[in-house]
Amino acid sequence: MKNRFKINPILKKEMVVGSRSMKMSWAIMAVSGILTSMVVFVLLITGVTSSYGGGYNYQSLVVLFPVLGCTECGLLSLMVPVITSGSISGERERQTLDIMLTTPISPFSIVLGKLWSAMMIVMMYMIASIPVMAIAFILGGLSWWNLLGLFVMLLYLGIYVGSVGIFCSSIVKKSIAATILTIVIGIGIIIGTALIYYIGYISVNAYYMSTGNASINDYLGPIPVFLFNPYSPIFDFMVRAISNSSIYDIVVSANSGALFSVIYRFWIPISMGINLLISYGFLKMAAARINGKVKRR
Amino acid sequence: MLVIENLTKRYGKFLAVDNLNLHIEKGEIFGFVGPNGAGKTTTMKIVCGLLDATSGNVTIDGVDALKNSDDIKRKVGYVPDFFGVYDNLKTMEYMEFFGSMYGMSKEDVDEIADGLLELVNLSDKKDVFVDTLSRGMKQRLCVARALIHNPDLLVLDEPNSGLDPRARFEMKEVLKNLGAMGKTIIISSHILPELSEMCTSIGIMDKGHLITSGHVDEIMNESGGNSKIHIRIADMHGTEKSQPDKTEMTDSIDLEADDNAAAKQEKLKEDTYSRDKDRIQTLLMEQPNVTKVKFTEDEIIVSFNGDEKASATLLKNIIGLGINVSAFYKEKEDLESLFLEITDGGADE
Repeated sequence: MKNRFKINPILKKEMVVGSRSMKMSWAIMAVSGILTSMVVFVLLITGVTSSYGGGYNYQSLVVLFPVLGCTECGLLSLMVPVITSGSISGERERQTLDIMLTTPISPFSIVLGKLWSAMMIVMMYMIASIPVMAIAFILGGLSWWNLLGLFVMLLYLGIYVGSVGIFCSSIVKKSIAATILTIVIGIGIIIGTALIYYIGYISVNAYYMSTGNASINDYLGPIPVFLFNPYSPIFDFMVRAISNSSIYDIVVSANSGALFSVIYRFWIPISMGINLLISYGFLKMAAARINGKVKRR
Repeated sequence: MLVIENLTKRYGKFLAVDNLNLHIEKGEIFGFVGPNGAGKTTTMKIVCGLLDATSGNVTIDGVDALKNSDDIKRKVGYVPDFFGVYDNLKTMEYMEFFGSMYGMSKEDVDEIADGLLELVNLSDKKDVFVDTLSRGMKQRLCVARALIHNPDLLVLDEPNSGLDPRARFEMKEVLKNLGAMGKTIIISSHILPELSEMCTSIGIMDKGHLITSGHVDEIMNESGGNSKIHIRIADMHGTEKSQPDKTEMTDSIDLEADDNAAAKQEKLKEDTYSRDKDRIQTLLMEQPNVTKVKFTEDEIIVSFNGDEKASATLLKNIIGLGINVSAFYKEKEDLESLFLEITDGGADE
């Protein structure tokens, strides 16, 4: 009895507080409503296109999965910053952060508690979305493994965005500013990785133009920079789910490098691993920031 | 219990605490007094492990608080100056939440929290949402929360700020009870009369310096030489009789019966109030043991560092100088006046 599992006190508190709020119920309803709208929209579009062919093309309904999956990822990318942006700044505004820091619980445990509580909400959204997602499996012919895979992807994305949100909440005083900063950092990472790839691409192109000597492998060289893009494993997952293909199949046929071949083949675990490490870094920085004894006054 | 040695805290160029030395014995209720920006909160936060010191040592029960902040957290309970509530959290859940932060089981917290809520007179509010409690109740709950792990040292930063008189009284009773239970308490407050009633010792800080510290009575006695004497003068505003100037004063007493006196008084009545003030001030400052003279709307306050006999001599001298004294009394020295005197009026930084 003594060594029984102890739940993080902050997670426990957040679950109690969150369960009594109507905000979560409204948000779940909104998410389900948006996903249902997307299903109706896809059914209407595919229905219209099918009418030209003289019959309903059920195969075209396979697009439901990526459409719903991407919609959920997009909603998650907007919701999680809102959930996490007040996590530290809110405690600071209430002056409960100081009280927490006078207890033996470590700043990292505080940060983790906040992340897990955000993940609990993400999981509730995912569970609430199952009925809508099931349409993609009934009509779209996808397996439950795809659904499970999507949930793993959503959890991974939630952890990444949540970590950034908590970090922003720890450095910015106002919750709204933290939300905006989280979204800006997210967009910055997406644009940043694309920009770095583009710079690499035009560098290779310039080299080719000046020397006339550059292989297709040289052009594909900068692609691994997308490993740092948190959405790239989701993209690879979607490609694998709907086309039995992958980044590996798209790229490796032209690339003979062994290392690159391994990277492309295991793109999802490698990229997820890298981005989860980055998330860990953000959480550590947030913990260091809230513990920042020297600077706070 | 708490030993602070050469504690210094800098924020960039700003010196918040300057070479602070303080010893607080076990079971003491220590009152931290000082104007805003004096360094009280900074010192308290360092003691609680919320801030690092630039230099110096803090020892709690023989444990180095700056190097072993994790150990210290179990010895210290902290009540900040602002009570934060969580929406949708009940009183008992609030206690359970902070109890679990100390690794306590729900059963242990429930048992201890029952006693603590009784101590702070909130037994009947266990199942009430915290955000519906009054400010005074919230503050008392915060004290109960700070005691959940049975700390040796309780640090309270302005616990009475924003409370109405009734809530302040209730808080004072709670803290007195804690003192009677042998808890060491550090409390900062701007409501100084209450501190003097409650605290066994005080420390007065200003601009990062500890100006004085010790038992309340000792400090009062030390400053006893600077008691205040209030003097009222019947014709202060020239309504009855303006004060003659120093060279004429002795003569004016003799000339009261003189026919010219009325004319002279009339002439003197034309003197401005400020001139009277200057004259009386000069006369009073020439008296022994008088260190400062201050004029208010209807009386003169004299800072006086003599004993009872000396104050009797002062009264005699003033009357002898022809000043029409209508009232003369020594102000009962309290912590507030002492604080204002030491901190030069208590001006904020």
